[in-house]
Amino acid sequence: MTELTETPARQPGVTVGKRVKKGYLRNMRKHWMLYVMILPGILFYIIFKYIPLGGSVIAFQNFQIMKGIWSSPWVGLDNFKFILTYQDFYNVLRNTALIAFYKLVVGFPAPILLALLFNEVRKMLAKRFLQSLFYLPHFLSWVVVGGIVFEVLASVGFVNAVRGWFGFEPILYMQQEQYFRPIVVLSSIWKEVGWGTIIYLAAISGVDPTQYEAAVMDGANKWKQAIYITLPALFPTILILFLLNIGNFLELGFDQVYNLLTPMTYSVGDIIETYVYRSGVLQGQYSVTTAIGLFQSVIGFILLWVFNRLAKKTGEGLW
Amino acid sequence: MKQTFGEKCFQAANYAFLTAAALTMILPLLHLLAVSLSSPVAADSKEVFLWPVGFTMASWKHILQSSGLWQSFGVTVFITVAGTALSMLFSVLTAFPLSRKEFLIRKQVMLGIVITMIFNAPMIPFFLTVRELGMMNSIWALIIPGVIGTFNMVILRTFFMNLPKELDDTARIDGCHDFRILFQIYLPLSKPVLATVSLFYAVGYWNTFQRAVLFVRDPDLWPLQMKLRAYLTSPEELAQVNMFLDDYDFNTTTLKAATILFASVPIILVYPYLQKYFVKGSLLGSLKE
Repeated sequence: MTELTETPARQPGVTVGKRVKKGYLRNMRKHWMLYVMILPGILFYIIFKYIPLGGSVIAFQNFQIMKGIWSSPWVGLDNFKFILTYQDFYNVLRNTALIAFYKLVVGFPAPILLALLFNEVRKMLAKRFLQSLFYLPHFLSWVVVGGIVFEVLASVGFVNAVRGWFGFEPILYMQQEQYFRPIVVLSSIWKEVGWGTIIYLAAISGVDPTQYEAAVMDGANKWKQAIYITLPALFPTILILFLLNIGNFLELGFDQVYNLLTPMTYSVGDIIETYVYRSGVLQGQYSVTTAIGLFQSVIGFILLWVFNRLAKKTGEGLW
Repeated sequence: MKQTFGEKCFQAANYAFLTAAALTMILPLLHLLAVSLSSPVAADSKEVFLWPVGFTMASWKHILQSSGLWQSFGVTVFITVAGTALSMLFSVLTAFPLSRKEFLIRKQVMLGIVITMIFNAPMIPFFLTVRELGMMNSIWALIIPGVIGTFNMVILRTFFMNLPKELDDTARIDGCHDFRILFQIYLPLSKPVLATVSLFYAVGYWNTFQRAVLFVRDPDLWPLQMKLRAYLTSPEELAQVNMFLDDYDFNTTTLKAATILFASVPIILVYPYLQKYFVKGSLLGSLKE
C-alpha cells in the first residue's frame, strides 16, 4: 500500500543528515518484510555461533554440568595453568602444529602447481575430462576416504601387493607411527587438490593473452612465462587463500584425522580436535578442553593478524 | 606456431603426469569395486586389482540385506532431503535482505556473520549448547545446528547482488512487496545458483559425520557415514555370521569394500550431473566484493 504512494525505490539508504534515526524507522516500516525475513537467519547465528562463543567462558570456570554456566564456580586462569603443566597437552599441540605445518608447506602449493600444469593442457576435451577426475574425491566423505586409505594400505591391500611383486615384505602402514603424518598430508592432498585448482584456474583465465604473446616475442619460454606472468598474476589470489588458511592453521579437520587415527597412532596423530572430543565430550572434562579449544582459536587469530599485517606491506590483506 | 623439441617433451611429460595423477583419483574406487565382487580367497591373496577374481555378488547381497545399513540409509536420505530444503529456505531468506541496499543494517549483520567465520566457537560450548536445546539423540541435531552454511549463503547473496537493480524498480512500481520480489522475481532468475548451492548442501548432508559423532548415540539414528565408520572399525557387526565356515562367499575385506561403495554410490551417480554446476558455483562464492 505504502509503496504506491511513495516514490518507488529511490535507494532509501541515502537518507542523510540529522534525520538518520527517523530514516531508520521509516525504512523499517517500509521494508519490514526484509527484517522479518532475516530473523530466522539472525536467530541461527545467535544460537549456534554466538552463544557457543560466549559459552567459551567455561574455560575460566570449573564447569559442572548440573550447576550450569551460571552457578559453576569461577577459577580464573587455573585451567590454562593446568594445561600448561600437562604432558598430554604438549603432545597434542605438537602433533597439531606439525601436521598443520606439513599441510601448509606441501598441501598449500599443490593446487597452484596443478593449476599451472592444467593451464598448459591445450586440448579442451582432455582438460575437462582430467579435471572432473581430479574434482571427484572432494565429494566423498572422510569416512569413505579413510576407508579407502585403510583398504589400499592394508596388509592385503594394493600398495603391499605392488611391494610384493618386488619381493618386499608387507608393511602395516596404518599401525606405524612414522607413516601417520605423511598419510594425513597425502590423503588431504589427494582429496582436495583438484578442487583447490578451480579458483587458481579462474585467476589464470583472467590474464590478458597479449602478455603471453609479447613475452613470446621477447623469446620467453614456457618456464619464463609461468614465472614472470602467470605466477605474479596469481599472487593476489594466493595471498588471500593463504590468509584464510593461516587463520584456521590449527584446525585440521576433525573428520579426517578421526577417521585415520587408531590407538596405535595416538602418540603422533592425536590432534586438538580429536583430543577435545575424546576427553571433553566423551569423558566430560568440559572446562579443560574448552580452554584448549580457546587456546587453539587464539593462536589462529594471532597468526591471521600477524600475517595480515605482513601481507598489507606487500599488497592488500584481508582487512 | 611450431613447437620446439623442449616444448614437445614438456607437453608429453605434462600429459603423462596429469593422466597418471588423475588415474589415482578413480583407480582406488574401481579397485574397491573389483574387491567387493571377488571371492574372499582372491581378495585376501592380493590377486585382485581392477578386475574381480572369482566373481561373486555375495558381499553385495549380504550388505543389501543388512537392515542396519538400510536404516541408516533412510536417516541419511531424510536429512539430505529435509536438510537441503530447510537450508535453502534459511539461506535464501538470510541472503536476500543482505543483498539489498534498502536493508539498512546489512553491513552490521554481515560483519556479525563474518566474525563467526574467523572466530569459530570451540567444540565443547557448541556441544553443550545443542545439548541444552534438548537435541541430543535427535535427527534434528544433524540438521539444525548447521542449517546455514555461511559460504553457501554468501554465494547466494553475491548472485542476488549481481541481478539488475531495474528489476526491483519495475516490480515495486507494480506494487510488489519484498517477499514477492524474492519469490516471484529473484528466485526464478536464480535457478543455476540455487541448483549449485542445493547440491553443495545435499553433498554436505549426505556426508554428515561430525555432528553425528557429537550428538547421536543411538545407532538407530546414525546416518550412513556413521554406520559405515562403525562397520569399518568392527566388521564383525556387519558380518554377524561365522565366516570361518566355508558356506559364505564373502569376508570382512570384501564386505568393507562393498560398504564403502554403498555409502558413496549416490554421490558417484549424481556426480556427472553435478559437474556442470559446481565449478561455476564455487567461483561465484569466491568473488571478492
